[in-house]
Amino acid sequence: MALRGVWQLKKLIVSYCDWGGSSRGIRAFMESELPVFKENNPQLEVITELIRGQHPHLKAFYKNKNERVICVKNMDPEDVLHHATRLRSALGRKVIKLRTRHVTKRPSVQGTWSTALPF
Amino acid sequence: MASRRRCLQALALTRQAASFALNNPSSLSFPNPHLSSNLSPTLLPIFTQSLSRSLPQWHHPRFFSSSGKEEDRAIKNDGEAEEDEDEDDYDDDDEVDYESESGEDESGLRSGGKRVYTAEEKEAVAASIGYKVVGPLTKDDDVFKPYEPVFAVVQIGSHQFKVSNGDAIFTERLKFCEVNDKLTLNKVLLVGSPSQTIIGRPIVPDAAVHAVVEEHALDAKVLIFKKKRRKSYRRTKGHRQELTKLRITDIQGIEKPENVLVSKPSKAAKKELEKVAATA
Repeated sequence: MALRGVWQLKKLIVSYCDWGGSSRGIRAFMESELPVFKENNPQLEVITELIRGQHPHLKAFYKNKNERVICVKNMDPEDVLHHATRLRSALGRKVIKLRTRHVTKRPSVQGTWSTALPF
Repeated sequence: MASRRRCLQALALTRQAASFALNNPSSLSFPNPHLSSNLSPTLLPIFTQSLSRSLPQWHHPRFFSSSGKEEDRAIKNDGEAEEDEDEDDYDDDDEVDYESESGEDESGLRSGGKRVYTAEEKEAVAASIGYKVVGPLTKDDDVFKPYEPVFAVVQIGSHQFKVSNGDAIFTERLKFCEVNDKLTLNKVLLVGSPSQTIIGRPIVPDAAVHAVVEEHALDAKVLIFKKKRRKSYRRTKGHRQELTKLRITDIQGIEKPENVLVSKPSKAAKKELEKVAATA
């Protein structure tokens, strides 16, 4: 998730509940794997937020002002780390079906072929 | 367990091949692609020898545990057990070797179900399947150059792309590389510039295409809907493909033309002239 070397994920909010059972995984994630994740990504601003009585989720804010929310209720810490890594590795672009697998601004180097070209 | 299954596979295949050989004794052509896909290279030559020695006979019942198969083989095996013993010992040795070799290179399945690769395995897999070699991360590297009129046809996995400087490419998820990693794509089939084209047979050996991993993301969800009418059969499945976006930074292996495109300054100059004329 780096457009021309610039990281696109600005902020990641880790919301959890200290009472609920669905937050067990994310609480374990915050103790075990979140510090490592923070060290590996110094450019990223990671905030932990307490929301009592709600299911836990990860909120990602991208540079193109897109927000992505992933609910991590009843997940294992490894799964939460997997989702967090996925958010970090993605650009903030809208998830739509790809038109082409090759995006270019200069399609032709030697000139576009046409039937009128002599061989 | 795995060794027994491999024995069964090998012997089942040899039975098929023996039946094939019996039907066409003149056209014994090895390696059979069906066989070679299942057997390791060390097993193949041994396999050919055994078959040439024992065309009309089936295999020794020693490997099989189920009674039904033994009866079949007992009926067909009328004597001729001397050559069988040699073959079986030979097969056992090579199967053991195969297992030990695979154990050294690959660490096998861990408890989490994720395969752990050694460094050499990673490079080998990357080079063979994806045709890429991972370089170090970019740190204050000026990799993103302006456009150069050079293109290359590069192959990644089974897909080929016509690529130029500054293009973005979506490929299948490439393992062993993180975001902001530099890659070298070394399976280059064709390199071209406005004045010259180098065609590879099938690869251009000295050409290299440098790319940077931009993102690892999931594609949009596609719904796979299956239905058989009047049969009460309906299935809906969702699928999101894992993709990697690569930004092509550099193409090497061909002389690049040095004339920079001068169109933009001339347009700016023209606009300034028009403004001056309008105000005056």
